[in-house]
Formats: sequence, C-alpha cells, structure tokens
Amino acid sequence: MLTKSGAKAFFLLGTGLCSLAFVLLTIDTFHRIPAQTNEDQITESVKKGKDLWEHNNCMGCHTLFGEGAYYAPELTKVYQRRGEIFIRQMLKDPRAMYPNDRKMQQYHFTEDEINSLVAFLKWSGEVNLNGFPADPPLAPKKTEGVGPADLATHVLPKPEIFQQMCTACHTLSGAGGSVGPALDGIGNRKDTAWLKSWIKDPKAVKADTTMPTLPLTDAQLEEVVQFLSSQK
Amino acid sequence: MKFKSQKIAYLFFATCMLLFSLQLVYGFIMGFAHMGLDVLHDWIPFHAARATHTNLLVMWLLAGFMGAAYWIVPEESDREIIFPKLAVVQWAALVIVGVTAIIGFHFNWWEGRKFLEIPRPLDYLVVVDVLLFIFLIGGTIWKSKRYTTTSMVLFFGLLMAALLYLPGMIPTINQTVDSYWRWWVVHLWVEGVWELIMGAIMSYLLIKLTGVDREVIEKWLYVIVGFTFLSGILGTGHHYYYIGTPKYWLMIGGLFSALEPVAFLGMAMYAIVMARKGGRNNTNRIALAWTVGTGVMSFVGAGFLGFAHTLPQVNMYTHGTLVTAMHGHLAFWGAYAMLILAIIAYAMPVMTGRKLSDSGMNTFAFWTSNIGMTAMTVAFGIAGVTQVVLERRMGMDFLAVQKEVEVHFLGLVMAATLFTVGIIAYIWNFVKFGLPSDEVLIERK
Repeated sequence: MLTKSGAKAFFLLGTGLCSLAFVLLTIDTFHRIPAQTNEDQITESVKKGKDLWEHNNCMGCHTLFGEGAYYAPELTKVYQRRGEIFIRQMLKDPRAMYPNDRKMQQYHFTEDEINSLVAFLKWSGEVNLNGFPADPPLAPKKTEGVGPADLATHVLPKPEIFQQMCTACHTLSGAGGSVGPALDGIGNRKDTAWLKSWIKDPKAVKADTTMPTLPLTDAQLEEVVQFLSSQK
Repeated sequence: MKFKSQKIAYLFFATCMLLFSLQLVYGFIMGFAHMGLDVLHDWIPFHAARATHTNLLVMWLLAGFMGAAYWIVPEESDREIIFPKLAVVQWAALVIVGVTAIIGFHFNWWEGRKFLEIPRPLDYLVVVDVLLFIFLIGGTIWKSKRYTTTSMVLFFGLLMAALLYLPGMIPTINQTVDSYWRWWVVHLWVEGVWELIMGAIMSYLLIKLTGVDREVIEKWLYVIVGFTFLSGILGTGHHYYYIGTPKYWLMIGGLFSALEPVAFLGMAMYAIVMARKGGRNNTNRIALAWTVGTGVMSFVGAGFLGFAHTLPQVNMYTHGTLVTAMHGHLAFWGAYAMLILAIIAYAMPVMTGRKLSDSGMNTFAFWTSNIGMTAMTVAFGIAGVTQVVLERRMGMDFLAVQKEVEVHFLGLVMAATLFTVGIIAYIWNFVKFGLPSDEVLIERK
C-alpha cells in the first residue's frame, strides 16, 4: 500500500521531471520560432500593427492563430484570403461592408495605422502554423471556370479583385458570403451598362441599398463587369 | 471560528459575491449580442464585455482563493494571521486595482491579450498586492512552525500562481512568442498551480466535513497533485499546436493532455470516496455537496470536455470556435467556481454562528445553478459543433454560420437565466448569514 512519503516522492519526482522537460522544450522552441515565424520580416510597421492590435483589443472579438474571442472572423490568413483592398476598406468604414450584420467598432484609424495593421496581418498570414487553418474538407470542390461545362468557353477567368471583394458578401457557384444575393447567372439578368453603373455607385441606382461603394480602379471595374456579364 | 483574524476571509468572500454577480451581467450582454441583439454596442461593445466577463472571473476566483487562504491558514497553523490590518489593506488594494481595470476596459484602456487584458501599469500593482498576500500567508505558516501538507500545498500553489504571472509581462515583438508566454500564465495557472490550490482547499474541506483521518486525505492529495503536474505541465503543449511553434508540440501536447482527465478523475473519486468513508454525520451537508460537486463537475468540464477537443486532429477544426467556450464554461464552473462556493458554504456558518446551511434555499441554489450551467454547456456545445461542421468542415462563410447558430444562443440565454436564479439564491443565503461575529470564538480550545 502506498505510504504518504511514497506519495510525496511521486509528486516531487513527477513534477520535477516534467518541469525540466518543459523548460528544455521551451528553450528548443525559442531556437526554432524565428525561422518558423519569419522573424526577420517583422518590420517597424508590423510591430506597430501588433501594438494597435493589442491596444484596441481586437482579440476581444476576432481570433488570430485561432486565439481570441469567437464573435468575429478568424484573421490569420485574412490578407491572403481577402487581400489588402478589402482590409483597408473594412478598417476605414466597417459598417459599410456588412451593413445589416454584426457590427465592428469604428476606430478612425489614420492611413499610417491602417498600413501597419495590414503589414501585421500580412506577416501573420505567412507564419507557418503547422497547417492551421485547414481547408474545409467537405466544401464543394473549387473549379476555375463557373457554370455548366459546355459554356466554359464563354466564361472569363475569375478576377482577383472579385475573389477578394465580391465574395465577401456574394456567392458564386456555392462559395462566398450570404449577405448579398447569389451571382450565378447574373449575366442573364443584367446587362453590362447596368452592372457598370451599379457597381460604380450602388446608391445612385437604388438609394436604400446596403451594397457599399467599392474602391475599385477603372480597370478593376471593367474587369469585374466583364466577368459578371459572362456568368450566363 | 477559532481565530479572530479568520474574519478577514469574509471581506474576500463578499467581494466574490459582488464580482460574480457583475460577471453574470456581462455574460448576458454577450449572450444577447450573439443572438443578434447587440443593443449596447455603442456603450459596451462586445470586446469590452468579453474582457470584463473573463477578468471578473479571474478576479473573483483569486479573491476566493485569497479568502480561503486567510480562512484555512490560521486554523492549519494554529495561530492568528500576522499583521491582520495589513491583510485588510491587501484586500482594499486588490479591489481598487480590479475596479480600475474593469472601468478602464470601457475606455479602451487595456492590453488586448486574451485573459491578460489588465493594462501594464496595473500589472505591477497586482504583483505588489499578491506579494503582500504571499508574505502574510507565508509569514503566518513560518511563525507557527506547524507545517501541514494542506497548508504547504496551498501556500506553494499560491506562490507559484504569483510567480507564473511574470512570464506574461515579458515584452516581445513576435505574436507567436507572445502567445507562448501567455499560456505559461493561463494554462499553468488553471491546469497547474490552481489545481494545487484546489486540491488543498478540497482536502481541508474533506478533513473538516467527513472526519476521515488527515493522513489518509493528505496522502491522496499528493497523488492527485502529482498526476496534475505530470499531465498538466507538458499538457500546455495543446495550446502550441497552431500558433507557429514546432510540430513536436502536437505529439507532446496531445499525449499529455490526454492524461489530464486522470488527475480530474482522481479529484472526483477522491471527493466521493472520502465523503462516503466519513461516517461522521456532518451538519453542513450542502458544503459537502459543493465539495463533491466540484470534483464531479471538474472531471466532466475540465477533464472530459477538455480531452474531447485537445486531440490535435480534432483541435485542427475546433481551435478558435465556440467549442472552446463550451469547455471553458463547465471547466471553470466545476473546478474553481464551485470550489469557492463550497468553502464559502462551509465557512459562513462557522464564521457567523448562524446555522443556515441546511436551508431549502441552499439546496435550491446548488441544483438550479448546476442544472443551469449544464444546460449552458449543452447550448454552447451544439452551437460549437454546428459552427465546426458548417464553417470549418463545409467551408461556409463565418457570418453566415453565426446567423445559423443565433437560435442556439436563445437556448443559452434561457439556461443562463436558470443558472442566474440559482446564483441569486446562493447570494441571498450568503447575505442572510450576516456579518462574522466574535461571539463564536468560544469554540477555541
């Protein structure tokens, strides 16, 4: 039968060995973190972005590296997923992007602060997180062209800006957000001129629309309109 | 009550009741926000409510541990607390720092690092305050020269908790390093040294309530805290899977966190077996219910539900979802909240001389709050699993999924209401006990 001193020895030995192992692993981890996290790419701007991230308690709603609260989206790969234009627009005027959805705080960031946050999120997205976040295994397989196969020749390649901005709210072929209507077959319903004036200034076409005016260049606008027109 | 200075515990216990009530209010704000009713957005936005909710929890649990220590240590050491007036100052300082931090959160004054939101200048004050507390407790034990296992485990638990606050203050430019140290504080607290404190308080309660021989109880205390550290220290690895640290943490963290339920199972069996062993017909059955309850609920919440999502293959999809909230709620309730409520339930009749422990109100509080919390956990669990399947497995958009789970938060708010009714009953009972009285000091031999 176990005696009290035996129990005490078990406690002290177990704790001692595990603590030692933990400290050694910590030292090893710290040797490896710089390479795994691209520490050489932590610029002044990234540092400032991290400060802003903490100063405003972004983790109180969002997660980064899967850590934080579960009220707002995971941001680890937001730079890679949504791109810079979307992040900038979101930080400038959060309500405009998702008008009827969960509200984000309006922070009135300066241009410089937005640059820093973008740099921080870009750096975060490039850290090797051992495969997190995983691609959803049950998601519909992404195909480059959209629509039935026999129409594939008429379909233009998906512009990058479309992937970053439009899919935040709209779905196409089952992928994307659910804020705005699905865009499948939009080319059958609307002509090029309408699409152009709509995307350029949605409020001018329909005053009470919740669609934001997107910061697109003329070339990007043209690209998106052509792409949408080809969705038949 | 044997010693006059044990009355200091009352200040801390009353603080617990106050902060706990406030924590519930902020919980409701978040519950409603998740339901889509974010009406307080302009005054108390979600991130302020969240920081307040979790920090109030940490604060009231710490206040509870401190109160428990001021209650237990004089008795175990067989002498009064040294400098009892200083202990009151220590209490007041804790309250001031806490209140300042909570108010600051509402004015964007914080350090936005999950669970360690308290801004840096206040961190230093916390350290000073805790050092003062450690000095008072340690000094009392030192002067008495009566070192019981229970009081030593309690003391070292509290000392390590204070020391482990420091890694969280190491400055870094790298988010990964930041997270690494943050878990030294948070994980090594809740799955390490806080369990020492928990084990010690439980031992004290079991010795008092069951009448089982101290030697037997303290022997098993060693075994259980031994298992806690054996699994819990390297179990920290389950926070290091996906934050930018080497891949070997997946194996180490997975293996050792799979062992963590053993410690909690031990804790549960310990409480049950000792309670059965004790032939003594104890007069405070509700305190024993809370004590055994903390063993059982901590096994389910911390042990089992923790295990369920710390396997790396599962955690890949559950990391950073509502599943974590499910585990967190029952774990903290079972392991620590119930424990504090147990020591308060035990101490109040002894401190005030009013034997209200077997009131119907107390039984009602116990069952209602436990059923309420279990229902909350189920609501979180369903919402969390739905989120994982739709968002992480099927690739639906985050906000679209949140719309889908809004209805589960209606269930959550209903369960939380039930829970709150139970807690109100507990606090009502606490108030009815009244203030501690010196007249009950006669029990001293």
